Amino acid sequence: MDSALIPRGVKRCPTWQFILGIVIVGAVLLWGVFAMLLCWIKGLNQTNMNTAYGFAIWIWADLAVIAVGGGAFFTGFLRYIVGKDELKNIINFAVLIGFICYSSALLILAIDIGQPLRGWFIFWHANVHSMLTEVAFCLSCYFGVLCIEYLPLILENRQIDKVPFFHNLSHNMHEIMAVFAATGAFLSFFHQGSLGGVAGVLFGRPFGFREGVLIWPWTFFLFTWSAAACGPCFTILITKITEAIARKKLVKDNVIELLAKISGWMLLTYSVAKIADTWYWATVTAPSKGFTLMDFYSNNPLYGIWILILEVGICGVLPALILITDKGRKTSFALWAAVILAVIGVCLNRWVMVLQILAVPVMPFISWHMYFPSWQEIATTILPVAYGIILIMISYRYLPIFPQEAELNPIEPPTYAEEDKQEQEEPVETQEASNAPEPEMQPAEA
Amino acid sequence: MKIDRRSFLSFVIGGAAGTALSPLPWKLTDDLSIWTQTWPWVPVPTDGEVSYVNSVCTLCPGGCGITVRKIDNRVVKIEGMKGHPVNDGGICILGLSGAQLLYGQMRVREPLKKVNGRFKKISWDEAISEISKKLVELRSKGESYKVACIAGSDRGTVPELFNRFLTVYGSPNFIRTPSIQDSYELTLHLMHGVQGMPGFDVENSDFILSFSSGVIDGWGSPVRMFKANSNWRDNGGKVIQVEPRLSNTAAKSDKWIAINPGTEGALALGLAHIIIKESLYNSSFVNNYSTGFNRWKRHVMDGYSPEIVAKITGIDKSVIVSLARDFARASKPLAICGRGQGWTPGSLKEFMAVNALNALVGNINKEGGIWGLAEPDYINWPELEMDSAASRGMQEGRIDGAGSGEYPHAKYLLNRLPEIINSAEVSPVQALFVTGSNPCYTLPDTASVKKAFERIPLVVSFSPYIDETAEIADFILPNHVFLERYEDVPPVAGFQKPIIGLSKPVVDPQFNTKHVGDVIIQLAKSMGDFIANAFPWETYEDCLQTTLGDKWDTLVQEGYWTDSNFAPPAWAQGFETASTKFEFTNDEINSLSRFSPVKPEGDEASYPLVLIPYDSMRLASGFIGDPPFAIKTVEDTVLKGKDVLIEINPATAKKLGLAEGRYANLTTPKGSAKVKVHLFDGIMPGIIAMPRGLGHTAYDKFLAGKGINFNELIGPVEDTASGHDTAWGISAKLAKA
Amino acid sequence: MKQEKAKKYGMVIDLDKCTGCGSCMVACMAENNVPFREDESDKLLSIAWMRVYKLTNGKPFPDTDICYLPRPCMHCEGHHGHSPCVSVCPATATDYSEETGIVSQIYTRCFGCRYCMAACPYHVRLFNWWDPVWPDGMEKSLSPNVSVRMRGVVEKCSFCFHRYQLTMDKAHMEGRRELEEDEYQTACTQACPAGAITFGDLNNPKHTVYRMVKPDHKQGGKPKNPKAFRLLERLGTNPKVYYLTSREWVRSMDDNYLKNESK
Ligand SMILES: Nc1nc2c(c(=O)[nH]1)N[C@H]1C(S)=C(S)[C@@H](COP(=O)(O)OP(=O)(O)OC[C@H]3O[C@@H](n4cnc5c(=O)[nH]c(N)nc54)[C@H](O)[C@@H]3O)O[C@H]1N2
Ligand code: SF4
Ligand code: SF4
Ligand code: SF4
Ligand code: SF4
Ligand code: SF4
Ligand SMILES: [Mo]
Repeated sequence: MDSALIPRGVKRCPTWQFILGIVIVGAVLLWGVFAMLLCWIKGLNQTNMNTAYGFAIWIWADLAVIAVGGGAFFTGFLRYIVGKDELKNIINFAVLIGFICYSSALLILAIDIGQPLRGWFIFWHANVHSMLTEVAFCLSCYFGVLCIEYLPLILENRQIDKVPFFHNLSHNMHEIMAVFAATGAFLSFFHQGSLGGVAGVLFGRPFGFREGVLIWPWTFFLFTWSAAACGPCFTILITKITEAIARKKLVKDNVIELLAKISGWMLLTYSVAKIADTWYWATVTAPSKGFTLMDFYSNNPLYGIWILILEVGICGVLPALILITDKGRKTSFALWAAVILAVIGVCLNRWVMVLQILAVPVMPFISWHMYFPSWQEIATTILPVAYGIILIMISYRYLPIFPQEAELNPIEPPTYAEEDKQEQEEPVETQEASNAPEPEMQPAEA
Repeated sequence: MKIDRRSFLSFVIGGAAGTALSPLPWKLTDDLSIWTQTWPWVPVPTDGEVSYVNSVCTLCPGGCGITVRKIDNRVVKIEGMKGHPVNDGGICILGLSGAQLLYGQMRVREPLKKVNGRFKKISWDEAISEISKKLVELRSKGESYKVACIAGSDRGTVPELFNRFLTVYGSPNFIRTPSIQDSYELTLHLMHGVQGMPGFDVENSDFILSFSSGVIDGWGSPVRMFKANSNWRDNGGKVIQVEPRLSNTAAKSDKWIAINPGTEGALALGLAHIIIKESLYNSSFVNNYSTGFNRWKRHVMDGYSPEIVAKITGIDKSVIVSLARDFARASKPLAICGRGQGWTPGSLKEFMAVNALNALVGNINKEGGIWGLAEPDYINWPELEMDSAASRGMQEGRIDGAGSGEYPHAKYLLNRLPEIINSAEVSPVQALFVTGSNPCYTLPDTASVKKAFERIPLVVSFSPYIDETAEIADFILPNHVFLERYEDVPPVAGFQKPIIGLSKPVVDPQFNTKHVGDVIIQLAKSMGDFIANAFPWETYEDCLQTTLGDKWDTLVQEGYWTDSNFAPPAWAQGFETASTKFEFTNDEINSLSRFSPVKPEGDEASYPLVLIPYDSMRLASGFIGDPPFAIKTVEDTVLKGKDVLIEINPATAKKLGLAEGRYANLTTPKGSAKVKVHLFDGIMPGIIAMPRGLGHTAYDKFLAGKGINFNELIGPVEDTASGHDTAWGISAKLAKA
Repeated sequence: MKQEKAKKYGMVIDLDKCTGCGSCMVACMAENNVPFREDESDKLLSIAWMRVYKLTNGKPFPDTDICYLPRPCMHCEGHHGHSPCVSVCPATATDYSEETGIVSQIYTRCFGCRYCMAACPYHVRLFNWWDPVWPDGMEKSLSPNVSVRMRGVVEKCSFCFHRYQLTMDKAHMEGRRELEEDEYQTACTQACPAGAITFGDLNNPKHTVYRMVKPDHKQGGKPKNPKAFRLLERLGTNPKVYYLTSREWVRSMDDNYLKNESK
């Protein structure tokens, strides 16, 4: 049915299977959309946020997806700036994942703010002192960059590519992609950092507050670093999951291993820096405000020292050690474990830096705050996951995301004649579809 | 028309670019941001001319002056009136919420008549004529004395109009709601020979010994007491709080002495014992201006040694001794009593024991002391002319038994009324007026109060609010609220000088309500003859203005009138007893039953705990229920959702297996309720405490259905000396739910 | 119009006098059009610009003690006006006024990101989770001096800034540039029946607040009066709300201390 849209030289599951998948994930998506509409129409009383938890699951999800979406900028940086050419075989997917993560982040923000229709005030009435302003500007610009990076991929769709204008556009964009990659890397450096700064500048919250250089607290650098370390792990993880579901190899091992190795070293150095930061904070910063380390991790039902051990040890040092060893990278199980742990670690770090900060009582006469998200919050947080899966499904099916796929999975030469005939019958349909604002949705409608 | 791919694309791209560059998106985003501020359901307060009106708050007997800020004809804010002798700018939480009682959903908006259990609109004239017909009918049957009136106060023109109406109609059954005023009036009457109410010169005292009085929890005139309390902080005055629970007063006091509840009178006598034994008393006063000292002394010396008192009260002997010394040695010590905000009269002998302490140290009719203020004298209406029906009716004894037989001294005994009605075959009350009070909420054992009221064929409520009593009434004839009406506010609880306030209409009546005074006048006129003649005024305003005479202008301008030359009479002239001296005891006092600690109702075996109420400024527990702002301030350790939290000592809770925030079943001999538990170290083990002011079934959604009304769990305990209710708590048990 | 000299409005609350009566809370609600809801018992959802905390000394009966601590916005000066909340607001919806020292909140500018709430360690900033609703007729008591906030924005104590504006307008009309001490007073100060709250200009040695706490402006306003303290002094928020107490245990709750730090 949709074979005309499927890239040449690769095999895709039957249309019914594809549609069934879309419908199942789409149902989850609709649940999320319903919750999102509730939040927009009825307001944030639909959540379990409160005076103590002004930030909650969404801001965590936001920071987490941006962290794991860091694979895009860092892979781009390695590919275009550092010149790790092998990475061209995974960069498309990294860009797609980045695009999903960042568009999700923006969507979450649009649900999270109390006055979504005034969201643009952040640009219009920008306060240069605010880390969030920096985040907003860099994030939006970088999202623009990601769109530009993702666009040529869309244009490579077999049908779109037939239009000379798009063909040329796509070609020219590829030429200058290094410029965008560099811009993206720069922007990412700042907004990842600013997100760390969001917590680090809170001098009223000793749990989050960090000293640093100039206007940037240590967490600024730690966030960029951890995103660069764990983002590629997430790219690897999603690639592996996609391979598992597609039941075929899509990226060659050497590519994955290269990325894993770089990640490993980033993660190791990050862990060392994180430990040093924690040490300084626990022995100098916090005591100067009257807190011991254990004040932050005891006398409450949830936030125990296990968090620190899990985050820095089990999900930091351990995966780093796996990834820097050749054997670790080559052992499928170890590689899986390492990337999963690294992703958990960075997500946990974001949780801690968003929620534990708020949970810790600062005034001595109040107690710990506990929080559990409402179903609306959970649904809206799952919404981007469903959206991401759908976007990956569509992109994978119709776009040449994995350049090595055809080589790794040779198939019987297809009967082009037949397909071309179909194309002749369908041009009008394709044309009409092109007026949809989101081109990636075309094939689904076609 | 055929659109080719290229032209279509150019159209789309061009259109998008054009739109982006046009002012349209900017205009739209701007509109959006404006729209988010002006959602139609978010009100935009309209501006207008600002004005201020001075008046008096009547939401409690405090008598504070208020300054009402208005915008055009709207009340936007109530503030304390600067320079007012009672509150000088300060104001309590209830007074501050006054505008919500004006505009709130709890207002009764028009006269209502209950038909088949449901309220129906009725016109004022119809309502008054129906009631009038019923009254005429009763009177013609010779049952005029079966009409009663319950009022929140017996002072001022409005209560006097009711009283006058009843008298000329032929009923002695005007009843004031109970409070410590009853006990203090009796104490003054028996010991000072004064008919009136006590004035406490708290501002000038330097040592306040409070027997469970909520000095800063609403006792007396609340704002005035706060101010006095702050003065003590500034000038070194001391407050000693004797109370079983760490109330706010106890916490703010210089010393909190926890005492077995109900034994306060014993402590007072124990202190007297030491003061006498160590000759610390004021011999000049005792020897020259008092009688009955030796007789009373024997009683105190025999029965109240520190050892005995320590056993009764649970207070350490040494604490008792040093407290007695400190009290006696202070230059202007003042002992006060009446638990909490003074909702229950309490044991007469306890009040007298506490007052005797003031006499011992000679701090009576002196700066920093206590004295009696005579009844206000400004109401001088023409002598009543009564027909024989009225005289006959007035010959009948009061239904509540006050003033005769066992209760010769009591003026009003509302606490006895429900039982009397419920145990009679036919209700001795055939018609009841209720004004300025809400007995179905504020009287103990509310279930029996409601049952009694339901047996009365005609109950008329004049409440401006849909309160619990109005709910069960047959007619609601809504009064204006205090911001819509004139009313004189005579001397306030415990203030040391005669003062009259004038409550003024600040805005026009918001609804189809009528001044209760006008209703009485109209009712009287509709009944003709002597009754009509007793009310020579056209309107209430006319009545008020004539009554106040030359004070009217001052009152309208200043908002209050006070006798600035007032000073308490000297010791030689101060007592109007038979002996013209202060009487520690006399034959009359001696004939009353002796003080003994008041036991709570219920047997200890089935009810091992004792439940006491506590009062809080944040919970109005009287006639008025908490408005939305006030209930909003109630802590989550008092009210959580719809559940009230019971204070319990952690040790007691542990024994019962109860933890913070857990549900428990609370049972007393009078009722049971599901409550939550709040662990509080500041309460004696074995005692549990519950706030007053919750558990309303009426009012608005902001108040109704939250918590439990303490009065549902307690019954009255009659004071054998006076007949007043003396219950301060009740036996209880608490079990995991 | 420019002021002669910058003011620094601040508040001193005498905890020995405060009775916990709640008048300050309600005075503020009535003055500032604060909304109310059917159930306000979840204090983490309830909007009260002034909140009175109940402190206990944690000792068992009969050594237990309670103290109430009213907490308006501290109008933190932070470092050079970078109060914790002002510097973080991405939309400049809150501002530190160098002229008055007041931290403003501009509701129509705020877009509800709640970053300022995360930044404020005093839980001063409150979010409008719901549309404010005044039951039919009750909107009549709304004051036109303070705009009603819409759902989705943050609000907080403004030191009754509209009162400052009104008195300044009046002063200008009368050709004055300076306000008398009693001319500009906050609603809570005015209402407090215990007279526990004092409000005034901390830069003006003639004002009572100055005399009460003797702010050391070289140290961000740290009180020189040893009986006075500010909440969380060591965080460097430099609040302009001071507390007085004679009770040592209350004093020890002003900040966080390590075990070996004797307070
Ligand atoms: N819902 C609603 N919307 C309205 C109106 C209304 O009555 N209700 N009125 C409309 C009208 S006529 C007007 S003029 C506008 C007014 O619109 P705004 O000016 O936004 O409204 P206000 O809340 O009155 O303004 C005072 C706000 O500014 C802050 N503020 C006060 N002083 C200062 C200061 O010195 N510096 C800074 N940066 N901030 C300060 C205060 O904290 C307060 O939040 O609103 C319009 N929109
Ligand atoms: S103390 Fe009583 S009279 Fe005074 S403002 Fe409060 S309610 Fe009104
Ligand atoms: S009004 Fe005054 S006394 Fe009452 S709680 Fe507030 S500060 Fe304390
Ligand atoms: S108390 Fe909180 S809201 Fe107020 S200025 Fe300080 S940080 Fe900002
Ligand atoms: S919630 Fe409003 S005031 Fe607070 S930081 Fe965000 S935009 Fe600024
Ligand atoms: S200063 Fe004004 S805004 Fe602040 S708490 Fe007091 S009354 Fe409310
Ligand atoms: Mo305006």
